[in-house]
Amino acid sequence: MNKQRIQGFPYYLGINALSDMATREDRVCVLNIMGGESRQVTPTSHAFSGGNVVFGTAPGKAGSVLKTPAGDIPVYNNVREGLDAGHDFNVGVVYLPPSGVRDGVAELIRVNSGLEKIVIITEKIAVHDAREIRAMAQANNIDIVGGNCLGVADSWNRVRIGGALGGDHPDESLLKGSVSIFSNSGGFTTTIAQYLATEGWGTTTLISSGKDVYIHYAARDFAHALKNDDRTKAAVLYVEPGGYYEHDIDFGKPTVACVVGRWKSKLTRAVGHAGAMAGTGDKAEDKENWFIEAFGTEGVYTPDNPVVSKKGAVVNNISDIPAALTAVMELNGETPDFPSTGSLALKPWMANDRGLNLPEELALKPVKPSAPYDEQVEALKEHIGAMVARQTMKDKSGASVMDPKSQVTSVHGHSVLDLALEPLEANFALPLVHEIANENGRALLDVAVAAEVNLVGDPILVAADAAREAGNAPNAVMATAAAIVGPNRLERALNCTDMLIELFAHSGLQDGSDEDFDTSGITLDEQSRALFLAGPEDKDDPRPEAMLKAVAARGGKSVFLKFLGGLDARLNRDAILAAIALTISWGPLMRKRITKLTAHTLPWYLRLYGVMVGATIPGTHHQSGSLCGIPREERFSEWTMADLCYLAMTGKKPTPEESLPLQILVGLLISNGPGSISAQGAKGAVAADGPQTPDRVQINKAMLGFLSHCGYSHGGNGFEGMAFLLQEFEGKGLTDPTDPNHGIDLKQMARDFAKDYKRAKAEAKELGSEVRALPGVHHPIFKGKPVNHDPRERFIAGFMKERGDYNIFHAFYRELVQALYDTGASRYVFCVNVDAVIAALLLSLLWKDYQSGALKKHDLENAAFTVFLYGRMIGSAAEIDDHLNRGRNMDTRTPASACGHVV
Amino acid sequence: MQITGLLHGSRLLKHVDFPCSEVLGPGASEDEIQAFLDKHGLVFVKPIFKGAIGKKGKAGLVGMVRDLKSALAEKERLYFAEHKHGNVTAKANGVTFEAGVPAEHEVYFSITDDSQFRAPTMTLTHRGGVDIEELGKDEIVTVPFDALTGLKAFVVANALTDIGAPKEIISPLVQQLPKLWELMHHYGMTTLELNPIRMRPGKNGRLMPVACDFKCGFDRDDPRVARLGLPDQLFASDISPFEQEVNQLRTHQGQSDVFVINEKGTILAPTFGGGANSLVTEVLGDAAIISSDFGGNPPYEKMKSVASICYKHFLAQTNVLFIIGGKSNNTDILETLRGMGDALREHFATRGPVPLYVVVGRGGPNLVRGFGNLADTLDSLGLPYRFFGFDSAISEVVNYAKDVDLWMRDGGREEIARHLGISAAA
Repeated sequence: MNKQRIQGFPYYLGINALSDMATREDRVCVLNIMGGESRQVTPTSHAFSGGNVVFGTAPGKAGSVLKTPAGDIPVYNNVREGLDAGHDFNVGVVYLPPSGVRDGVAELIRVNSGLEKIVIITEKIAVHDAREIRAMAQANNIDIVGGNCLGVADSWNRVRIGGALGGDHPDESLLKGSVSIFSNSGGFTTTIAQYLATEGWGTTTLISSGKDVYIHYAARDFAHALKNDDRTKAAVLYVEPGGYYEHDIDFGKPTVACVVGRWKSKLTRAVGHAGAMAGTGDKAEDKENWFIEAFGTEGVYTPDNPVVSKKGAVVNNISDIPAALTAVMELNGETPDFPSTGSLALKPWMANDRGLNLPEELALKPVKPSAPYDEQVEALKEHIGAMVARQTMKDKSGASVMDPKSQVTSVHGHSVLDLALEPLEANFALPLVHEIANENGRALLDVAVAAEVNLVGDPILVAADAAREAGNAPNAVMATAAAIVGPNRLERALNCTDMLIELFAHSGLQDGSDEDFDTSGITLDEQSRALFLAGPEDKDDPRPEAMLKAVAARGGKSVFLKFLGGLDARLNRDAILAAIALTISWGPLMRKRITKLTAHTLPWYLRLYGVMVGATIPGTHHQSGSLCGIPREERFSEWTMADLCYLAMTGKKPTPEESLPLQILVGLLISNGPGSISAQGAKGAVAADGPQTPDRVQINKAMLGFLSHCGYSHGGNGFEGMAFLLQEFEGKGLTDPTDPNHGIDLKQMARDFAKDYKRAKAEAKELGSEVRALPGVHHPIFKGKPVNHDPRERFIAGFMKERGDYNIFHAFYRELVQALYDTGASRYVFCVNVDAVIAALLLSLLWKDYQSGALKKHDLENAAFTVFLYGRMIGSAAEIDDHLNRGRNMDTRTPASACGHVV
Repeated sequence: MQITGLLHGSRLLKHVDFPCSEVLGPGASEDEIQAFLDKHGLVFVKPIFKGAIGKKGKAGLVGMVRDLKSALAEKERLYFAEHKHGNVTAKANGVTFEAGVPAEHEVYFSITDDSQFRAPTMTLTHRGGVDIEELGKDEIVTVPFDALTGLKAFVVANALTDIGAPKEIISPLVQQLPKLWELMHHYGMTTLELNPIRMRPGKNGRLMPVACDFKCGFDRDDPRVARLGLPDQLFASDISPFEQEVNQLRTHQGQSDVFVINEKGTILAPTFGGGANSLVTEVLGDAAIISSDFGGNPPYEKMKSVASICYKHFLAQTNVLFIIGGKSNNTDILETLRGMGDALREHFATRGPVPLYVVVGRGGPNLVRGFGNLADTLDSLGLPYRFFGFDSAISEVVNYAKDVDLWMRDGGREEIARHLGISAAA
């Protein structure tokens, strides 16, 4: 070998001074340059070092280049090709996966006779390979740094080779000075440089040695180069237990040794640093003693016991390194390289204590970070609302989840059972603001939706009537109406919402109903002002005034309405809708419960709710100024969502006793989780528009997705239970289903039915046919016990019992399951399922009208379907909004490999 | 990943045809033991420990028997013997019966990678069977050798000559010992120790080295270990179910090294970087549940998987979720914090919320974006947090996390639970 080895070492060592470790003259070849880590790190290294990488290798990728700020780095299949192309290099950097490292080192050594140094970044290299790498390097007089390291850097030469010392901004940490760092930890190499700067110490050469069993460039080698480097006045070592690498070394210059890892003696195997497992006599305590002896100090330096000597100090905490170094250097008559760059005191950058009662010493106030981080943190504050990562949302939902055991679905953390007990208008907001609306929000929501229900004069009504007359089911009628509520119809309302969000985003407003909030600093230019004001096209629209009056009548508070009121001009109804929607969504938006996108789209949902409910009312009932004979003012100012839904189903206003069952029914039907057909339809419609370009997603079309995915089997089947009950109670003289003194022997009725049923079952068995399934009885999950219950039915039954409410149909169902068992028609007592509860509640609600002839059987069927649609409209809104925020384009597709072909 | 004893050691030695004393496993019947005694006269009964447990003989955990009654008595005594060695307490599960080998000479032999030489190094003495630390320097030899050429016969011959070994043992050892390098180097071992090797006289009076005990350590990063086809359960006692689950994700790209420090700890500290791991684990002490190094620029999916496993096993008992590292060089902070935040969100979604305080100390690429992302997640989960940048001393941040843990133990956990509307119980 032609290389000069350093005398006095029993092994080959070529680097004589730290200044030779990473020089401006070094030319570098990077193996596996296109690998994940190199692709990120090498461009920064190359640019920082003035373009020191001559080429890289990546088998099969010859001809490509790695782009860097300092120009493209050519890529070859192997080292020989690069050399043949005329590139020379003296340093190899290895980014290969562990199994390839040994061969990569062999390639570098064998192919390039001009090689002097290799830096191995790869971690988890087998000891077997490390042994052979060491032997190859020794036999061929090559210096190796690593493995499992972050390479080397030189703050004077502005060079870094191999890994990412100094991170993506090397200039921040590699400050020119007089201290060299040798560290077993790559991360701490940079961190220590950063810490040293706080005391005014800069660096010369930084070496991340790695901490594998084999440390190819070790402390002894470093000590030699340290002595011969005129630039370096002192050294910092970061050392962990395991190995005799630091034993009995004379560093020749002041040195602070940080030894960490006393606790590692508790380990039975390595964590992170493969070589940091002590054997005999090389524990952390042993190493501390080696250094204490070498430096002649009286122990380990701590702030309370700052023991140092001219030769150095031993610390256990990297935070103590700067102060210890300063103390050592003072004894040597040396002062720091530059003024302090700050302190290491605790400085929270971001915090949120959520109003907890934290002790003062824990409740540290956030401080402004140094540049450029200060601007980045400020920019974060500019962002309002939650941020949600996109992912494939096929069969997944962030909005709803069904517990497979109880079959109870929750929407945004609220179970449908709880939702069934909430006012309907509170539930209408939930899917969109992820919180149950408070009283103010509910009042505003009632106004917003009421303003959309009467469709007189709107082509929607003609279309909906035409769809109805064509014999369509209620879902198709609703879909016809929803299809017309397209983007153009919402453009102004959504623009108004955006404008208000922009105006108030950084105003400090936390609560949209806070009318005391000072808006005097918020101003509008003429163009923006015009957006909110009524134009000639709004001349005949009576709703703006009616809505504002209704809000006032209900005592509704809205800082946005108040602000718009200050414009002293007639508002258009889209502006009012936007202000109402934002009042409801503002708190959740500020609390980062919802995204800005959700707040932006809320008016669209509110308009759709109104139109979809309105479309279920035949056209003849929509009159100018009244709906089903109810004057506009009364509807706007007094009616609730439940009232409107009841009106749509029966043509009249409900009593409180009548509205409660409807509210329960709608609540129960809100969602059955993302797996239900209706949810799948809604999600598919969003996916097809492409949620990654959210502005193009048509929310009304997504509602069509839900509506087209309902039908006589899914949604319309609610009537089956009612039909069964109608048949059983035919001719029984029932007048009031809520009167417990009805005088009907339910037990006998149930027994008679059960006997007949058992007989029919036996006959069917003889014939080999199937007896018809009983609607409302039995459930595939809640079965097999002596007595079975559907927890949803139990919940509602419990609630009704507590209120003292009675429902004869429900009572009949309870008798029926017992009678089926008693007569031997069932092997155990079936559960009364939630469908029975729905049928019982709804039939009870409509019984009197049915008896009087005001409603026909067909109307009952329609009503059953419609009440399902009202509930599921809320749940679908939740899925649509969730998919819009989280999903990816076309993510509901099923891959061909998972599809089957049937012949 | 270590193996001690001849039950498995003898199988390994067969791979390179190194002679070994006969051994019967714990399932041996009384008839088999009797036949074994009849054949060998002297039999050693040794407890079977998983992993490396040294100095069994000194602890009185080796029985020497010549008849069945004593053999069975020793079997009963040693079958579930407990042995404390250093910080490790091990419980035996079974015994082996190993044939006594009558011999005049006992040899100690080991190969390991010695950091003083940075080379594979053989330690050899003809005065084996004892603690080698007790021997004089002239009686024992430690010789590094070239990993590329391996342990050659001349290395052994020179070493034995240097310590004045009896000449009758030199030739057989020179012939047999180099085989052990083949076993060590080609099957992923980091260390191999045979003590004692007894020199059994054969026909013609020629001595034959016979391994009478076996100890080796494996390199968990070396796929060559798989060549031996050792059952996984051999190393099962080394790791908890949690570690086993996490370690399945262990690759060179994004580490997932974990060690359970205290199963009843209250600070869950995903740590980034080997150095940070050392420092954080040292300062946290017993408050830490795990010691970990998740550094090395893990991709999002991996980070999320690792965090999910950590949460699954330990979040319920956790007071402080403490994400900590130095100023990373190339680990993308956004990707790692996003992965851990999303895993937390999913954990809350599927297993319900937990009263937590979140402390982060970190620096590196995309730091503020990472902080912003995690803050959003914690805001949406209703959890309190405090994030420190790289300009706060890492040890002070660790102490801060410890102080928050103390506050949590002192009523803070209940307070957060009340805010979340859940129970504080772990």
